[in-house]
Amino acid sequence: MTGVTGSLLSFVLLYKYWALFVIVYLGAIIIPWPVNITLLAIGAFASQNYFSFWFSLTVAVVANTLGDLTDYAVTRYFGERVIHLLRLNKIRFFNHLQAELRSDAAVTVFMTRFAGSLSSITNFLAGLVAVPLKTFFIYDLIGNIIEPFSALFLGYLVGSYWNDFSNLLSLIGAIVAVVVLLFILLRMYRRIMKKYELV
Amino acid sequence: MANEGRGDHEEPGSHNNRNNRRMARVVEWVVIALAVILAVLVVFFVREYLNLRREQILNAREASIDHVLKGHGPLTASDVDIIQPWMTFDYLNRIFVLPADYLQTALPVTDTHYPHLSITSYARDTNEASAAALTNVQTAIKNYFAQEGTGNSSSSATSPSNASLGFPTGAVQGSI
Repeated sequence: MTGVTGSLLSFVLLYKYWALFVIVYLGAIIIPWPVNITLLAIGAFASQNYFSFWFSLTVAVVANTLGDLTDYAVTRYFGERVIHLLRLNKIRFFNHLQAELRSDAAVTVFMTRFAGSLSSITNFLAGLVAVPLKTFFIYDLIGNIIEPFSALFLGYLVGSYWNDFSNLLSLIGAIVAVVVLLFILLRMYRRIMKKYELV
Repeated sequence: MANEGRGDHEEPGSHNNRNNRRMARVVEWVVIALAVILAVLVVFFVREYLNLRREQILNAREASIDHVLKGHGPLTASDVDIIQPWMTFDYLNRIFVLPADYLQTALPVTDTHYPHLSITSYARDTNEASAAALTNVQTAIKNYFAQEGTGNSSSSATSPSNASLGFPTGAVQGSI
């Protein structure tokens, strides 16, 4: 158990749902701390009756969604200035990514909910390319219900010995993240090949 | 779609088309790199799974179910190895079903924040190494079960074993 995870878990045990909210919210914005391991532990705490499973899930979903919406709002309202300031619009890959997100927002937003830090990057890009708020919110929410539920439920199942399974969960998380990234890149590749008839 | 419209006007063989071909090549290489990373991750995953099996945590389906059920039952003296420095006394009292002031008296803990105090903070207060404080807590809990003579104190009011997904019980429910 790393120092960061230990500190987060102490914080959770001391301040319970407030701590859960803060950890998930900041994790959803951009901070790359081990949110899934924390949720796994909270699932185990719920099995020990120290937390309420359903209330924890509600707090996690609300915090995650609010964090994602914060990212989205920041770039939705200030994004254009940032693009021009950093001359991102001159980078061809950036334009491709924008086009992909515009034409495939629902799938991209939903899939990246399971891809760790890629989720935050997608949130920023979604705001930048002005993905409709309704589309973003719906697919974000669906993904945000499934992801914390999985971690909490696994923690609930394994109970007090959740720590033995934390490495396994981290690896599952990493594998899912790479698979999602591959999925998105392959879709992008196919679209480029088809659109410009490069086959 | 604005970009699609722009793409439709591009002539094959143009500068843009060459750039797109280059972009497709970059994506190809990134995909290959990710596939290699994925393969490595899968190898690590299998190794971790086999380790868990070797350590008899995931030995067989039956053992696994046993383990899961044990994980939901009241903890006993033999479970003290799960205690970590980040755990709070309040949490330990709950999962081992200890009397609220037992650890405070047994260690003893003078900090007024008890039981909302982690073992790490307790170690800092007493100028002990975290590992030493952890051992003291483990010993105190073992002593408690030895005094009780049962190795299990499930007679207390709140047992973790009565947790359920649909109907969480106990005083902590809904507390923030």
